[in-house]
Amino acid sequence: MSEQVTEEMVALKLNEDYCSSCSICSSLCPFEAIKRDTETGKTLLEIDKCQVCGICYSACPAKAIDIIYYDIDSLIGYLERAKQEYECDTLVIMCKGSAPDFTGIERLFGVAKFIPLSVPCVGRIPEEVFLKAIVMGIKEVYVLACDEDYCRFEKGSPITGRRILALNLLLEQLGYGKEVITLKRNSLKVKADRDLCISCGNCAFYCPYDAVKLESPGAVSFDLAFCKGCGLCVAMCPAMALELENWERECISALLSQLASEMQPPKILVFRCQWAVFPPLGEEFAPNIRAIDLPCAARVDTFHILEAFQKGIDGVLIAACSEEDCKQEKASRGAQHSVARLKERLKQIGFEDRLHFCTITPRYPEQFDKELEQFNKRIETICLKGSRE
Amino acid sequence: MIVTTQKPLDEVLDFISPYSNILIAGCDGCTQPPRGLREAKTLSQLLELGGKLRNKNFVFKVTTVVKQCDSFLAASMLKPQMDDIAAVLSLACGAGVQTIAELFPELPVFPAQNTHFIGAEEREGGILEERCVGCGDCLLAQTGGTCPVTRCTKGLLNGACGGSKNGKCELDPEKDCTWILIYERLKEQGKLEFLKEFHPPRDYQLRGWRVMT
Repeated sequence: MSEQVTEEMVALKLNEDYCSSCSICSSLCPFEAIKRDTETGKTLLEIDKCQVCGICYSACPAKAIDIIYYDIDSLIGYLERAKQEYECDTLVIMCKGSAPDFTGIERLFGVAKFIPLSVPCVGRIPEEVFLKAIVMGIKEVYVLACDEDYCRFEKGSPITGRRILALNLLLEQLGYGKEVITLKRNSLKVKADRDLCISCGNCAFYCPYDAVKLESPGAVSFDLAFCKGCGLCVAMCPAMALELENWERECISALLSQLASEMQPPKILVFRCQWAVFPPLGEEFAPNIRAIDLPCAARVDTFHILEAFQKGIDGVLIAACSEEDCKQEKASRGAQHSVARLKERLKQIGFEDRLHFCTITPRYPEQFDKELEQFNKRIETICLKGSRE
Repeated sequence: MIVTTQKPLDEVLDFISPYSNILIAGCDGCTQPPRGLREAKTLSQLLELGGKLRNKNFVFKVTTVVKQCDSFLAASMLKPQMDDIAAVLSLACGAGVQTIAELFPELPVFPAQNTHFIGAEEREGGILEERCVGCGDCLLAQTGGTCPVTRCTKGLLNGACGGSKNGKCELDPEKDCTWILIYERLKEQGKLEFLKEFHPPRDYQLRGWRVMT
């Protein structure tokens, strides 16, 4: 058991040797995870409060913060590789929280060919990455951030706005032309098909944001200004009358079919909440594993879980945030509840061990890999047992 | 609402195993939890997986009906979909299943649900409880809106009985004594004199079996 005592790898570290105690990080941290000790003047990190948004990292003038995900070197490394791979000079940097599938990008910006860079919060991208991209020969940069009041990291979207304003002025002065970086804001919204609605009120009951109102007689109305696009109502609608914009049921089904066909057995499909797991850029899986990143675990639809099994997937893993870390209030709990109910029913046909729900946080970068490894072993055993019988 | 629970999948698989082309019909009406399109689809997916384990390939057509117990609605929504269908699996309550069975006398119609009672839902706790037995002689005006026929374990019309202890029923210590609930409610409303009124035994004929609209 002594192994458990060894220190767990954490996503963010402060390097005291470089820290100049300027307090920029502590003033920007949306979660009060970084504080300046008034007595010693030292900057302290409380990792349990940290949501790994990376805003502090992007703003630290002394480079005194080390971060595991999307650090400057890996971002620039990715851009260099991707520029070759995609053979184009247009870059789209998008926040996962508001990024639709890539056809949505085409609709929003009118660009068909581009280098995609998807990160949890655009606010974590430092100025020098933008500048390095321009130096690399990228002509146009499009940035898709979340609406300011929709940013899951609170300050990420406003910071992005200010940063781009300053960068555009700088680039203009340097002679790169006007408005090299185009910023757009977006947030996911629910869409309702009135013809299918049965007025059951589930959407109004489950919505964490009071975006749904029940009006007499039995009519449901959505106030999209309040909708934060978690997708919980979509997963809970018994009439399948709701869709999440750009994450439509059919799009996810199509992706699922494509992944199922390219996998090797024992096939494992992971539905990941984008806030629970931060995948490395250019992430590669073993040939038997594929993942679908969703805007929130709440958008994991029991329909898609069953569809995965129907398409020959041997095991489905769901990686969600814990209730405390959930960026969408009670959405993670809702997801957990509906997966548990489905598991009860899968038990009746002997499939319950093939579905696993786990809570993950990006603050401990090894957590997801460990869960995946364990689940992989479990599914291997089940498949081996099945083939023997 | 009519409260139902899903039958065990094995039991449903036993019903439908002799058939291949099966229509699964949800009901958007009063079944609770809602047994609409999603439930119908989920059931088809589960049965397909369960069927494969029995080396049986089903072909499911999935649909839903606004109210299965309304023969006009059920007929107009289902009749156009019945080509090649060999059996129907209904997610409605017992009344809905029987309506479909009468509409398609040549086809076997199976229930996918067990129907329990007319109840009410407490969503936060996810609890559904019986609230009405359909006695045909509603007493709720005199009992502060709490039904003793349904909720009193003994169905007493004049309570409470001597078995009420600390507000709980002697037959089920988890269950509130309905007559204590009635007392508390009437007291709050200043209508305790209602308790002095004697209710004679129920006339079971009032329940009836047919009502004209």
